Amino acid sequence: MKKKIVIPGELVSEERKKVGQHVFVENGKIFSDSLGLTYADSDFASVVPLHGKYLPQREDLIVGIVAQETFGGYLVDINSFYFSFVSKEFIRERLQKGSIISAKILSVNEINEAELGNVRVFYGGEIVSISPVKVPRVIGKNASMMEALKKGTASNILVGRNGRIWAKGGDIPLLLKAIKKIEEESHLSNLTKKIEHFLEEQKKEN
Amino acid sequence: MEKEIQYVKNGKRLDGRGLEDLRKLKIEAGVISKADGSCYLEWGQNKVFASVYGPREALPKHIQNPYKALVDYQYRMATFSVPDRKNPKPGRREIEIGKVSGEALEKAIFLERFPNTTIDVYVEILDSNAGTRVAALTAASVALADAGIPMRDMVSAVGVGKAGGEIILDLNKDEEDAPDAVDIPIAILPRTEEVVLLQMDGLLTKEEWKKAFKLGVKGCKQVFEMQKEALRKKYLEAEKETAETENIEMMGD
Amino acid sequence: MANDILMELQTGKIIELMKQGKRIDGRALDEYRKLEIFHNISQNAEGSARVKLGETEVVAGVKMVPGDPFPETPAEGSISVGAEFLPLSSPTFESGPPGPEETELARVVDRGIRESKCLNFEDLCIKEKEKVWIAFIDMYTINFDGNLFDACSIAAMSALMQAKVPKLDKEYRIVKGEYSGKLELHRKPLLSTFSKIAGQIVVDTNFAEEKATEARFSVATTEDNYMAAFQKGLSGSFSGKEIDDCIELAFKKAKEIRKHL
Repeated sequence: MKKKIVIPGELVSEERKKVGQHVFVENGKIFSDSLGLTYADSDFASVVPLHGKYLPQREDLIVGIVAQETFGGYLVDINSFYFSFVSKEFIRERLQKGSIISAKILSVNEINEAELGNVRVFYGGEIVSISPVKVPRVIGKNASMMEALKKGTASNILVGRNGRIWAKGGDIPLLLKAIKKIEEESHLSNLTKKIEHFLEEQKKEN
Repeated sequence: MEKEIQYVKNGKRLDGRGLEDLRKLKIEAGVISKADGSCYLEWGQNKVFASVYGPREALPKHIQNPYKALVDYQYRMATFSVPDRKNPKPGRREIEIGKVSGEALEKAIFLERFPNTTIDVYVEILDSNAGTRVAALTAASVALADAGIPMRDMVSAVGVGKAGGEIILDLNKDEEDAPDAVDIPIAILPRTEEVVLLQMDGLLTKEEWKKAFKLGVKGCKQVFEMQKEALRKKYLEAEKETAETENIEMMGD
Repeated sequence: MANDILMELQTGKIIELMKQGKRIDGRALDEYRKLEIFHNISQNAEGSARVKLGETEVVAGVKMVPGDPFPETPAEGSISVGAEFLPLSSPTFESGPPGPEETELARVVDRGIRESKCLNFEDLCIKEKEKVWIAFIDMYTINFDGNLFDACSIAAMSALMQAKVPKLDKEYRIVKGEYSGKLELHRKPLLSTFSKIAGQIVVDTNFAEEKATEARFSVATTEDNYMAAFQKGLSGSFSGKEIDDCIELAFKKAKEIRKHL
C-alpha cells in the first residue's frame, strides 16, 4: 500500500470511498484534517497523524494515570484531550491520584471521550511517554522490539496504544535512552537489530 | 531639496525585487520540544517563534464554551525586535493583532470537536521589518499542524499593498514609509481562497484593490507551498518507512 | 494538569537514583548538557544571542538607549536587565507581567554583570550631567527544560560581547545604521547554579530534576577568580562546606563555558 504525506486541507481522494480517521468530506471529495500519512489506492480513505495526542479507539489497550477520584469512579489521564472515566465497579483496589493502571477502551463517544474497563493496577515502576504514532515501532513486528527492550534492560514493560509505556525494574535510564533512539530513528530499517546492538554495547560500558 | 526616493524603477524595487516577489522565507516545524506544536520562521528580516498548546481544559470554568474550543492567540514582540527599544508591556497594537489573528485561525480549526477546551497560540517576534503579523500567523498555522490539531485547511498570510504608485507584494519597512504607501495584511484558506484576515492602512481605489487582492491571493498561495514543504520535510523520513510496521498486534505482558 | 501527574512520578525516580549518585539521563553530577551559542539573531538589537543548553533554549538582546543619568552619578551610564518566561516555552508558564521567579533571575544576572564591573559605567557616559547610555538586556525563554539561570547568564554575556554602540547626532538621537564601536567588556561574569536533590549537589538540572530540587545556589564568577554575586533560592538549605564546594566547582565550570562564548 502506497503512503503519502498530507497536510491539513490536502486532497486524499476524489473518489467515493469509505471514510476513516482524520479525513473529512467536502463537495464529494475527501480531504485530510491533519499532517499525517494517508493510504492511497485502497477503497478506504484515512490518515494516520504523525503527531498529537492519542485518539481513543475501542478495544485499544492503554496505560493510564489516575487524576481524580469521583463518587462512582475515577478520572484517568490517558494522554488524550479529555480524561477517561472508569467505574469503581470494575476495580477491586482503592486507587488514588497518581495510581497507574492499564485498561481497555470500552467505548468512545462523538467527541472522543472514552470509557475504560478490564482494569489492572500496577504498583511501582514508572511511565515513559512517547508519541502514540510511534507505538507500533516500539512494539515491533511480532513484538520483537519490545522483547529486545525487555531483554536488553531486564525491565518489565507494558506498551499502551496511547503512547504511555509502563516500566519497572532493570536499567530504566538505559531503557529511556533506547526508546529515545527508536523515536529518532523510527524511519530506518533493521531498527530492532540496531537497538539490540545498542543495548549490548551500553551494558558492556556499565 | 530632499532627493525623492524612487520606490519602483524599471520594474525593480529598492531592494532589487520584482513587484510580485516575496522576500526570502524560511520555515522550520517542530522546534520547541515542550510545546504541543511549534514553528520557527524567518521572512526577510523578520524572525518569529510560534508555539501551540492544546486543546487543553479552558480555565476558569466560566469561560468554557460547551460547543467548541476557544482559540487564544497572543502576539508579542521582544524589546530588541525593533529599532527603538520596545516597552515589554504589550500595547494595544499587539492586542488587536492577537484578536484578529486568533479569529483567522478559528475558521480553519475543527473547533466543534473539542468543547470546553482552549487552544493557546503564542507568537514571539525577535526581529522585525514590516509584515510581522502575517509572518506570525503563517508560523502559527504551521505550529497548529505540527500539534496535530485537526484543520480543514492551513492559513497562509502575506502583506500586499502599494508604494511608489505600484501595487506590490510583501512590502518592507522602507516601502511602508513611502508617502503613498498602502499596507494590506491578508490571510486566506488556500484551498477555497476564503479570506480569514484582512486589514488595511492607507488610501486605495477600487481598481487598485482588485489588483491588490489578486496579487495577495497569489502571494498567500506561494507562502502556502512553503508551509507545506516545511511540514513535509519534517516527516519525509516516514514516507520511506517499510511495510514491516503495518498490521502489528499489541501484546501485553 | 496531566503533565503534573507525570512529573510527580518522575520526581520519585529522580530522588531514588540521586541517592545512589546517579542521574536520570546518565550524566555525572557535575556535568553540563550540550551547549550551543548562536550570535546576532536579531538585526534590530545592538547585540543578541540564542543559547541552547540541552533542550533549554533562551534568547537575549541588548538595546543601547540614550538616557538621563541618575543625579548621584552624573557621569555614569547603567544597565537594566529584564527576563520573561514566555508561555510559548512551557505548558507551565502563564502570560502576564513578570512574576517573582522572572524578577529574581533578572536581578541575579544583573548583579553578576553590575558588581563584577563587566562594563565600566563611566565608559557609558555621553555627556556629563546630560546624557548617558543605558544598556537594556532582555532575556526570553524559548524552550524550558531547566536551568534558566545559567542559560540566561550565558545568553546575556554573549549578547553583550556582540554589542555595538550606536552613533549619536548633535541632539543625542541615534543615527540609524552607524556605530561608534563595540561595547568594551572588562570582565565576563557567568552564573553557575547548583541544585540540592536528595542530599546530592548537581549542576544543570533539567525540568524534571528542577521539580525534585530542595535548594538552589547560584554564584557569578569572573575569569580572574572573583565572585560577583550569590543567590540562594528555594526553601531548603546548604551547609557552609557545601557552599564552598559549589564555589570551587563554579570557577571550574564557568571557565569551561567561557571558552564557548
